[in-house]
Amino acid sequence: MLLLDYQNVLIQSLLTERFSGAPPVSIDQVASDFDGVTFHVSTPESKTKILLSINVKCFKELVQYGAQEVLEREYGPYIVTPEPGYDFSVQVDLEDLPAEQEARDELIMKLALLKRNAMAAPFERAFDEFNKLAEEASRYTSESAPQGVKEGGEVMAIHYREEEAIYIKASYDRVTVIFSTVFREETDRIFGKVFLQEFVDARRRVVTLQNAPQVLFRNDPPLELEGVPGLQNAGEGEISYVTFVLFPRHLTPQRRYDNISHIQTFRDYFHYHIKASKAYIHTRMRKRTADFLQVLNRARPENEERERKTASGRTFRVQS
Amino acid sequence: MSQSLRPYLQCVRSSLTAALAISNFASQTSERHNVPEIEAQTSPELILNPLTVSRNAEERVLIEPSVNSVRVSIRIKQADEIEHILVHKFTRFLQQRAESFFILRRKPIKGYDISFLITNVHVEAMLKHKLVDFIIQFMEEVDKEISEMKLFLNARARFVAESFLTPF
Repeated sequence: MLLLDYQNVLIQSLLTERFSGAPPVSIDQVASDFDGVTFHVSTPESKTKILLSINVKCFKELVQYGAQEVLEREYGPYIVTPEPGYDFSVQVDLEDLPAEQEARDELIMKLALLKRNAMAAPFERAFDEFNKLAEEASRYTSESAPQGVKEGGEVMAIHYREEEAIYIKASYDRVTVIFSTVFREETDRIFGKVFLQEFVDARRRVVTLQNAPQVLFRNDPPLELEGVPGLQNAGEGEISYVTFVLFPRHLTPQRRYDNISHIQTFRDYFHYHIKASKAYIHTRMRKRTADFLQVLNRARPENEERERKTASGRTFRVQS
Repeated sequence: MSQSLRPYLQCVRSSLTAALAISNFASQTSERHNVPEIEAQTSPELILNPLTVSRNAEERVLIEPSVNSVRVSIRIKQADEIEHILVHKFTRFLQQRAESFFILRRKPIKGYDISFLITNVHVEAMLKHKLVDFIIQFMEEVDKEISEMKLFLNARARFVAESFLTPF
């Protein structure tokens, strides 16, 4: 439960219920996901035809990096013209579902992963580029390689949030994924630093994590991003740049799918745990404050105003 | 308890007990007013000599006695910016609940993290030695709490980082 799911759980449960053979009903529901992504599930024509639309802030950029092809590959026959106000739509007909349960579950999962697939395009492109560059580079020795192969491909920027972006760059021996993240508050900034430091150290410390990607973080833009427009220089350390270096072993066809899903959840995971630590510390302070109050209350003398009784059990009472 | 903490707390305890010899004293400057003289600072003859007890450069206690009130300010140890932010959060949290703490001041004095204001009314209504106990216990536990919170934060960060990197 520590790691986030890759799919949208609301859509998954909604479709599972619809696909289970229950009588069709009309749906009109807006669901949101991380990074300001919104989904719209509706049945505009008839109750059996479910339309699922997605709105992503950076869809234009994603299309530029090949999102359309990825989505066409994933959702081929289901794609319809996008609903107004949304970027991409798919439609499923309840009367035209695959017969076996397994295939149905697979379809549900696929639809729930719509955001992941849309965001995956630049990663896939970078991984392909890496393969190409690696092949090219294998033909040269390190000295004689032409500049292009050495330097790697262009930097792909995805501005998936208001002020934050993911930058992806392929090279002949690695793919670099850089997250820029903004901390609004001093506390977040410091907590973030503690967490990021552990990300950096984890690989060195734990033997089983030797295969994990290398993580680096800094407050000024990394050298890979030189010349990328729209970069903010961190004034008071509000912006951090977190770099993941994916090595060839992460880019193999077998690992590729999972790694793309997993690295996408980084920002949400990271920020979630900062907030969760803050919440925990808050409850802790609450408890400690109650303890202090108890100590202070010990200083107040108790008023010994108990009802006095005679030996036979009768009480003294003023008769009116 | 570490070697230097015991004499430090002992010193604060005896200085504070001595300073708490306070009694009711009506204001000399305005009629029918009765204010804590250490806060009002209107008559220099009613203010006694302030006293600082330092454990090291970082930790110290300032005791400012007067005829009818005593102000105690504590500076809590802050070794790095994590501790700094935790101390800041914790003292802020306490100060927002100053109402129920009676002797807690809503704002610390400059250069200190938390201040208490004990007036003659408090000393009359509450047991003096228990009040001193409270301050001492507070000083003891606040350090412990801060370092525990810091440890927790580091442990969580470590665990979180490792579990994120494991699936790769």
